[in-house]
Amino acid sequence: MTNHWNDLANSDCVLIVGCNPAENHPISFKYITQVQEKGGKLIVVDPRFTRSASKADLFVRLRPGTDIALFGGLINYAIERGLFHKDYVANYTNAPFLVRGDFAFNPQEGVFSGLNREKHAYDPASWDYEADKDGKPVTDPTLQNPRCVFQLLKKQYSRYTPEMVQQVTGIPVETFLKMADMFCATGKPEQAGTLLYAMGGTQHTTGVQIIRSYTILQQLLGNMGVAGGGINALRGENNVQGSTDMALLFHIVPGYMGIPNEAKHPTLKDYLDKETPKAGWWMNKPKYFVSLLKAFWGEAATPENEFAYHFMPKIGKGFQGSGYSWLPLFENMAEGNIQGMLVWGMNPAVASANLNQTYVALDKLKWMAAFDLWETDTSVFWKRPGANPKDIQTEVFLFPAADALEKEGSASNSGRWIQWRHQAVKPHGDAKSDLWYANALGLELKKLYQEDPKAAAPEAIVKLNWNYGEDPDVHLVAKEINGYTWADKKQVPNFVALKDDGSTACGCWIYSGFYPGPDKKDNKAAARNGKDPSGLGLYPGWSFAWPVNRRIIYNRCSVDAQGQPWNQKRALVGWDANAKKWIRNDVPDFKWIDLATKAEFPPDESLKAPFIMLPEGKSRLFVPKGLCKEGPLPEHYEALECPFVNPVSKQQSNPVIKIWKSAMDKVAQICDPRYPVIATTFRVTEHWQAGAMTRNLSWQAEMMPEMFVEISPSLAKAKGIRPGEWVKVKSARGEVLARANVTNRVAPFCCGAPGFQNTVEMVALPWHFGFAGLITGGPDKKQNYAANQLAPMVGDANTMIPEYKVFLVAVEKA
Amino acid sequence: MKAILIDTTKCIGCRACQVACKSWNDLPGEASTFSETWSNPKYLDADNYTRIIFQETTSPKGELHWNFIKRQCNHCLTPACASACPVGALKKLPDGPVVYNDDICIGCRYCMMACPFQVPKFEWSKAVPLIRKCTFCADRLVNNQEPSCAASCPTGCLVFGERDQLLKEAHRRIGLHPGKYYPEVYGEKTGGGTCKLYLTTASFQTLGLDHQGFRPDLGDYPHGLHGREWMAKVPWVALTVGGLCTGLYFYNKRRGEVQDHDKREG
Repeated sequence: MTNHWNDLANSDCVLIVGCNPAENHPISFKYITQVQEKGGKLIVVDPRFTRSASKADLFVRLRPGTDIALFGGLINYAIERGLFHKDYVANYTNAPFLVRGDFAFNPQEGVFSGLNREKHAYDPASWDYEADKDGKPVTDPTLQNPRCVFQLLKKQYSRYTPEMVQQVTGIPVETFLKMADMFCATGKPEQAGTLLYAMGGTQHTTGVQIIRSYTILQQLLGNMGVAGGGINALRGENNVQGSTDMALLFHIVPGYMGIPNEAKHPTLKDYLDKETPKAGWWMNKPKYFVSLLKAFWGEAATPENEFAYHFMPKIGKGFQGSGYSWLPLFENMAEGNIQGMLVWGMNPAVASANLNQTYVALDKLKWMAAFDLWETDTSVFWKRPGANPKDIQTEVFLFPAADALEKEGSASNSGRWIQWRHQAVKPHGDAKSDLWYANALGLELKKLYQEDPKAAAPEAIVKLNWNYGEDPDVHLVAKEINGYTWADKKQVPNFVALKDDGSTACGCWIYSGFYPGPDKKDNKAAARNGKDPSGLGLYPGWSFAWPVNRRIIYNRCSVDAQGQPWNQKRALVGWDANAKKWIRNDVPDFKWIDLATKAEFPPDESLKAPFIMLPEGKSRLFVPKGLCKEGPLPEHYEALECPFVNPVSKQQSNPVIKIWKSAMDKVAQICDPRYPVIATTFRVTEHWQAGAMTRNLSWQAEMMPEMFVEISPSLAKAKGIRPGEWVKVKSARGEVLARANVTNRVAPFCCGAPGFQNTVEMVALPWHFGFAGLITGGPDKKQNYAANQLAPMVGDANTMIPEYKVFLVAVEKA
Repeated sequence: MKAILIDTTKCIGCRACQVACKSWNDLPGEASTFSETWSNPKYLDADNYTRIIFQETTSPKGELHWNFIKRQCNHCLTPACASACPVGALKKLPDGPVVYNDDICIGCRYCMMACPFQVPKFEWSKAVPLIRKCTFCADRLVNNQEPSCAASCPTGCLVFGERDQLLKEAHRRIGLHPGKYYPEVYGEKTGGGTCKLYLTTASFQTLGLDHQGFRPDLGDYPHGLHGREWMAKVPWVALTVGGLCTGLYFYNKRRGEVQDHDKREG
């Protein structure tokens, strides 16, 4: 989230797209309800009529996976009707930047310059700003130059007319115009519109570009950096924000720094030279990276050995050149190349896409260690329906894990608040905290590497700076994350104090400042001051928001060029010209003070770079340099499995996605007659993710006891399906039994270019059910009720997130 | 007098209240099957004191609506259950709750028959069955805690407070958004008034819930008074009917004796 949960209440218009907060983030509706009470509007865009939709002022039924066409239409509408926030766009975005003359987009082909069709990849050299002789981007503040970003944007989306939106998304022109008027009203300087999204936006082969299309609209409407605005990702688990901050991802190290690459970065100098931008806050990266190395290897990290950089694992190209994310990992596992797996708070036997392939992969493991509250579908994958345990040689260890209430530590919420949780009760039985297990594993590995004379490269492990005690103290971990001076072990006040000479250690620079002193009372994550002096729900004394307790990031954009708030009632910061000081309700996210002299900079200083993390200092309507692999501007492509020919261009699906070739990777053809129905997956309030927790709680289980599939009355009639009876849903990869939930909450979509229109049904399946636990999803213990048996193993070109949200199926009576 | 305002327009159907109720009252979750409406458990019973009714409707214009309506004991101001109870096991407390005393109940189930909302439920499966229903968390109220359903509600659909203030608030909302709300507060006068006050988008009759515990035909007359009137007649009825029966008994007995005598003689 650029903003935070409480801030939703400040909005004039809440746009829910690709998420379902009433069901999956019910507490958020406390704030969304407040918006409606104050006369604000709620728009819900979803293929299904959800419990969120039931509260909406406007419900927009969108064919799944067509968000870019809808948002392309909204971008076009805002520009054509002049509803965008002109000063904002001119001053705070890269709209005035000129793009290189050789950059091109072919509207018929639907692709950008530089595509290599054989390699499924672009050469993004032309996707860059035009630079003057000093290397600085050339700009046109009037936004008139045909090669400036604004004009390119205008041209790109001029094709997304309301009629085109209807052809692609199935949204009637009338409904589209209603939505466009309602949300584009927030383009007025004093208005704020917030956009909430989650997996309905991301789980597509075009996921990154879908989110980009959301952000372009929010930039055009001037909704970034303001209270009640922003682009807000609703994280699906209470601490998934914390896990990404701590880099539980293969491509980064803690604090969102790229992981060193073995080809590009053999030495620390290579890494820092290539990865440190020449402008913007990231110029400080060497300080954060070296402090991280120092936290990892302590005494063994010296200036002479490049702070033990040679110990840092470096990534190669990954499996089939596709990195180390979920899909290549399981493809690789299925080929028998991975021996063991630690499963920590996950249930891949239900959650993974194309489960039948996942099971084959799990079967090939020599061992698996699962850390969980109890048996999950994953820890008993070897006795799943249809498997013969005798044929599976995997040795499985199940370690009893302590529940959230049984341990102390922090959880970071979607709004970046690091909130401390105290231990309520001692762990049950032999259960231990995840930290205890990780620590025990670390200590044991150190010992084993030390004792084994034949160990390969033991030093990287043996010399780890790992001193949290036998029974680890979570406060020591927290203090290391905050950072400290190496010589006298004093906590640093925040990341400004970090150095690149090895004199400081810091586990995650963005968290620095949350534990600035030695005592438990210094732990700001545990701060519980309930005062809200600004009345904007900022609660600066409640927990700690990274970075530096800033509640709303990019807040330079909440004021005009002269530093005056667009809306006085929602002032986050403001320049007092008489006193020559900034009024600070929130922590400024711009250059406002000279740290040496304590003199405050007038607003024209920060006007140069309202987005301090970017080298160009301006937010990106156009993403340069191939940072997004499909192009600098989002273009609509259809899902890989799709019953429609792309009405926008000849390019049917994302040209740069990886199509896996194993025997298990079956995909339906375009408009495949065997699978004529669109399917999407969803979650309900009553169950949690892959269901391991809630399917074992009787209070939750009784409310949603059985697997079902939402079917429209028209499809039910066509197939002779009676409400409540068991039906079979089949895809190219598998099938699942489900009860027919015949309801108008799902409906067929009429889409396609004129003359090629077609009406296609859509069904929706909850993905919580499986085959183990108190309830599995049905009465038959020999059935696997997991919806993801149907979903394809194909991912977004940038993130590799699987396309769970659109695939093709057939529905028949069971 | 405490009450809960249930503004159904704010309910998102999350059912935190259902779980909170089971948690506080230590009630078991039951083995259930799929519910087409998603309402589950499907009925109020001795293990389910509250439930959310999910109701999908389509307006004449084709607009889809999905209503979520909480059901539980309405805690009448003049409770019919208490007035029907021959032993005084059910009692209206001054601050609102209608509570039940396990130790006095004789299991006659008059309360079940008397309740116009079909709320009290019987423990059919137990050897010594008792009556069960929502208690308004009377055991929390005495500790200055709000009822657990209201405490768990994320959206402010359930607001706990003083009944007269909540009524004012309900009418303020109706006045502020006349198009949004049905202009009556169900429970303000219904059956003599209740401690659960409902704001809805339409009448319960229009919503089609009149047969699911939301009778629109109760009028304003306190329902408990019906019970009290009837129960007040019990002594007279007992004496009259009893006397009549005794008379008939002796009359028949005498007639039998006479007949026997006649036969013997005959």
